[in-house]
Amino acid sequence: MTRGSIFKLFAYAVVAGAITTAVAVFIPWLPTAATRQADRMWFSIWFAEIIAIVVFAVVAAALIYCVVEFRVKPGDTSDGPPTHGHTMLEIIWTAIPTVIVIAITIVAAIVIHDNGKAGTNPLVIKVVTQQFTYQFEYPNGKTFNILRLPKDRNVKLDLSSKDVIHSFWVPAFGQKTDAVPGITTSIVITPTRTGYYPIICTQLCGLGHALMRSEAIVLESTEYDSWYASAGEAPAAAAGGTDGKSVYTAAGCGACHVFTAGGSAGTIGSSLDNLSVDAAKAGEELNDFIRSSITDPDTFLAPGYAKGVMPSTYKSSISGAQLDSLVQYLAENTK
Amino acid sequence: MASKANHHPSAARQRFGSDWRAGRITAWLTTVDHKRVGLLYIWTTLGFFAVGGVLALLMRAQLATPNENFLTRGSYNQVLTIHGTTMIFLVIVPILAGFGNFLVPLMIGARDMAFPRLNALSYWLFLLGGIVLLSSFWAGHGAAQGGWTSYVPLSTLHMPGHGEDFWILGLHILSISSLVGAINFIVTIHNMRTSGMTWTRIPLFIWAILTYAWLLVIVLPTLSAGLTMMLLDRQWGTHFFDPVHGGSPILYQHVFWFFGHPEVYIMILPAMGIISEIIPVFARKPIFGYKAVAYSTVGIAFFSLLVWAHHMFSTGLPVGLDSFFMLSSMVIAVPTGVKIFNWLATLWRGNISFDTPMLWSLGFIGVFTLGGLSGIFLAAFPIDWQLTDTYFVVAHLHYVLFGGSMFAVFAGLYYWWPKMFGRLLDERLGKLHFALVLIGFNVTFLPQHFLGLLGMPRRVYTYRPGGIWEVYNVISTVGSFLMAVGMLVFVLNVVITARSGRRASNDPWLADTLEWYTTSPPPAWNFDRLPYISNARPLRDVRRRLEAERWK
Ligand code: HEC
Ligand code: HEM
Ligand SMILES: [Cu+2]
Ligand SMILES: [Cu+2]
Repeated sequence: MTRGSIFKLFAYAVVAGAITTAVAVFIPWLPTAATRQADRMWFSIWFAEIIAIVVFAVVAAALIYCVVEFRVKPGDTSDGPPTHGHTMLEIIWTAIPTVIVIAITIVAAIVIHDNGKAGTNPLVIKVVTQQFTYQFEYPNGKTFNILRLPKDRNVKLDLSSKDVIHSFWVPAFGQKTDAVPGITTSIVITPTRTGYYPIICTQLCGLGHALMRSEAIVLESTEYDSWYASAGEAPAAAAGGTDGKSVYTAAGCGACHVFTAGGSAGTIGSSLDNLSVDAAKAGEELNDFIRSSITDPDTFLAPGYAKGVMPSTYKSSISGAQLDSLVQYLAENTK
Repeated sequence: MASKANHHPSAARQRFGSDWRAGRITAWLTTVDHKRVGLLYIWTTLGFFAVGGVLALLMRAQLATPNENFLTRGSYNQVLTIHGTTMIFLVIVPILAGFGNFLVPLMIGARDMAFPRLNALSYWLFLLGGIVLLSSFWAGHGAAQGGWTSYVPLSTLHMPGHGEDFWILGLHILSISSLVGAINFIVTIHNMRTSGMTWTRIPLFIWAILTYAWLLVIVLPTLSAGLTMMLLDRQWGTHFFDPVHGGSPILYQHVFWFFGHPEVYIMILPAMGIISEIIPVFARKPIFGYKAVAYSTVGIAFFSLLVWAHHMFSTGLPVGLDSFFMLSSMVIAVPTGVKIFNWLATLWRGNISFDTPMLWSLGFIGVFTLGGLSGIFLAAFPIDWQLTDTYFVVAHLHYVLFGGSMFAVFAGLYYWWPKMFGRLLDERLGKLHFALVLIGFNVTFLPQHFLGLLGMPRRVYTYRPGGIWEVYNVISTVGSFLMAVGMLVFVLNVVITARSGRRASNDPWLADTLEWYTTSPPPAWNFDRLPYISNARPLRDVRRRLEAERWK
C-alpha cells in the first residue's frame, strides 16, 4: 500500500464515519431518560454506538475504496494478484473484534449489576397484567390502573400475569420486562424526572395487544406522599372502589368494548350498548345475562365473536360487591 | 470416499435421454433428478416469496398512518404470523435447499444426490407443508395469530379455532422435509466428491451447505418436540406449558429458541457461501483466507448452539445465565466479522467488474454489516431490555434476513441463472432491480430502528397519532412499495429473457468451480468427463491449460 492509498482510505473512513455520526447525533434516537437506570442504559447504548460507528466506517471505507479504485478496465479479463491469505492479518482481525465485544460485554455487565440494585427498603409495587390491562397494587393494599411513582426513590415492580405473557415497558425508564404467568419477574427503577409517561405492552398478547397501554405518573415525593395518604377516596379509576363505572374502567372492559355510557370504543368485543337483544337470544333475564357473560363469557357467545377472547378471569378478580354494581351499571345504561 | 470417475458418456446418455429439462408435466412430477428438484424448489419458493411479499405490503399499508382501519386486530395478527412463517420456512430455508440441490452434485462433480428419491420426497413434503400453512387462512377463525414464535400460553390456551393447529401441522411437515433433505446433503457431500476434491478443495458454498445441513439435523428434532407438546396441550389436555397446572411457558421459549437461533444461521450461512463464491469470480482473485472463511462457518455454527437464551433476556432469567448468553452471543460476532474482512481483502487490488451478481454481493456486505452491528446491541442484555420486542428488532432481523439472506439469494439467482436455464438474465434490468430494492430496502427498514428506540412495540396493528412516529411510518411504507416495484422488474426480466435472453456458454463469468465445466444447462448426467481436482479453483486451471495449449 502506498502512502497515497492509505490517505485516501482514511479520508473515506472519515467521511463515512462523519455521515453516520451525523445521523446518530441529529436524529432523535432515544427519549429523554427519566430514571437513574435509564441514564446508565443510555451510556451503554452510546458506548456501543460509538464502536459501531467506527466499525461501520472502516468497513464502508474499505468497500467504497475497492469499488472506486479497483474497477476493471473495459475488456480486461486478466486476473488480480493471486494472494491466498495472510495469517497475521487473520489474527489481527480476529483479535480486535474479540477485544471490542468483550469491552461491550464488560460495560453491559456493570450496567446490569448496578441497575439490579434496589437498595434498602424500596417501594414495592405489584404489577398485575391481564388481557389488556395493567393493575398496580400498592403496599397499603389499594389497587389502581395508573402507576404513580415518587421521584428519587427506589421502586421495585413485581410483575405477574393472569393469562398470557405481557410486558411492561416505559421507554423513558430504560427498562422492560415480561410478565409471565406462573412466575414473578421484577425491575427496579429510580425516577428522576416528574411527568407523564406511556406504559406499553410489547409482547404479543392477543387481539388487543396494540391497545394495551397505561400511564406512569412521576410525582414530587411530597405530592406522592399526600396522594398516597389520601388514596382510596381519590382518583376515580380506583379499582378498589365499588362504583359501577369505576369498576368498568379499572377492569379494562373498555379496551375491548364499545359502551357509550362508559365512553369506551374498543372494537375487539361486541358493543355493550344493546345487550337486551342478546339477552333475549340467550333466553335470560338481562341482569343474569350480563352477570354470566362476565363470569363465564364462553357459555353464550355474541354472534360473530370467538370463544376464548374475553378473559375468563373476572370471576375471581372482581369481588362480589363490585360485580353487583358493574352488572347494575351495565344494565342501567344499555338498551 | 471420493467416487471414482463413474461417468461413461455414451451409456449415461442412453439412460437419461438428451435434455433433462424437456418433457411433459409428468416428467417433472415424477422427477428424481437433482437439477429438476432444485428448480422445483426455486420456482415454488419464489411463488411463496410473492405471497409473503403481498402480506407484507398489506401490513405496511395498514401502518402507513395511525388509526387506519384497513387490516386490524385478528386479521392483522394472522397476516403478521403467516408473513413471518412463510418468509422463514417457505422462502429462505427452502430456496437455499433449492440452490443446494441444483449445485451440490455439480460443484463436487457427482451425477446426482446420494438419495434421489428422498430428494424428491423432501420437495413434495415441502410443497405440502406450504399448502397446509397457507390454507389455514380458511380454517375456522382464520390462520394462526401468535407470530412466527407462537409463544404460549397465548397460542395454547387463548387461541380458538384451528389456524394454530394448521400452523403446527404445516411446520411439522416442513421439518420432516428439511430433515430428509439435510441428511441427503450430508451423505452426498461426504461420499460423492470427485477424485482429488479433498476437504480444502471443495467450494466454500459446499462448506456452507454441509454446515447448514448439520445444524438442521441437530435442531429440527427440538422444534418437532416443542410443536408436539404444543399440539398435545391444545388438543389432548396436557399441561406442558400451562402454569396453572405446573407447566412452564418459559420451557416453550427454551425449546423454541434452541431451534430458533441456529435457524437464523441456517438461513445465513449458505447465503454467505453464495457470496464467497461470487466475490472471487468478479474480483478475479482467489478468496482471501479460504481456511479462515471455512472454519468461521463451522465456528459460527458451533456457537449458534450456545446462544439461544439471548431471545429471552426479558423473561427474568437469573443474571448469571443472562451474562453467559450475552458473552456467547458477543463471541459469535467475531467469526462473522472475520468473514466480512476476508471478503474485503478478496476485493482488495482485484480487477472488479460490476455485473449484477456482484452488485448484489457488494450490497450484501454493506447491509449485512449494519445488521450484524445492530445484533451486537441486542446481544448486550441491558440494551436488549430496552430494545427487545420493539421495531428495532424488526429492523435488525430484516437487515440480516432480507439484506443478508435474500440479497445473497438474488446474487445467486443472477449468477447461476445461465447455468440453470442456458440464458443470462438481462443486465440492465438486473441493475435496475438491484437499485430499486437496495434503496427501497433502506428506506423501509432504516427508520424502523428509530421507531423502536423511540418506543414503538412490534406486532401492533395501530399506534397513536402524533410526533415523528408518523413520519417514520409513512417513509417506511413508501420504501416497501418501492421494493415491490423492484421485484416486478425482476419478474419482467425473467419473462423477457425466457425467450430472448443471451445464450450462455459453459462458463460465461470465467468462474472457478466445477459446475461451469459442463454445458449450460447441464445434461441429465451432469458431466461427460471430469478434470482431476488439484485445488479449489479447478476451472481456472482448465482455462490456463487451454490457453497454454493455444500458444504452443
Ligand atoms: C379481551 C377483550 C375483552 C375484555 C377485556 C372484555 N371483554 Fe367482554 N367480550 C369480549 C368478546 C370478544 C365478547 C364476545 C364473545 C362472548 O360473548 O364471549 C365479549 C362479550 C361480552 C358480553 C356479552 C355481550 C353479548 O352481546 O353477548 C358482555 C356483557 C361483556 N363482554 C362484558 C364485559 C365486561 C363488563 C368486561 C370488563 C369486566 C369485559 N367484557 C371485558 C371481549 C372482551
Ligand atoms: C452478529 C450476529 C447477530 C447477533 C449478535 C444477533 C443477535 C440477536 C438478538 C440478541 C436477537 C434477539 C432480539 C430480541 O428479540 O430481543 C436477535 C433477533 C433476531 N435475529 Fe439476530 N443476531 C445476529 C445475526 C442474525 C442473523 C445472521 C440472522 C438471520 C439470518 C438473524 C435473525 C434474527 C431474527 C429472525 C430475530 C428475531 C427473532 C424474533 O422474532 O424475536 N440474526 N438477534
Ligand atoms: Cu401485549
Ligand atoms: Cu438468536
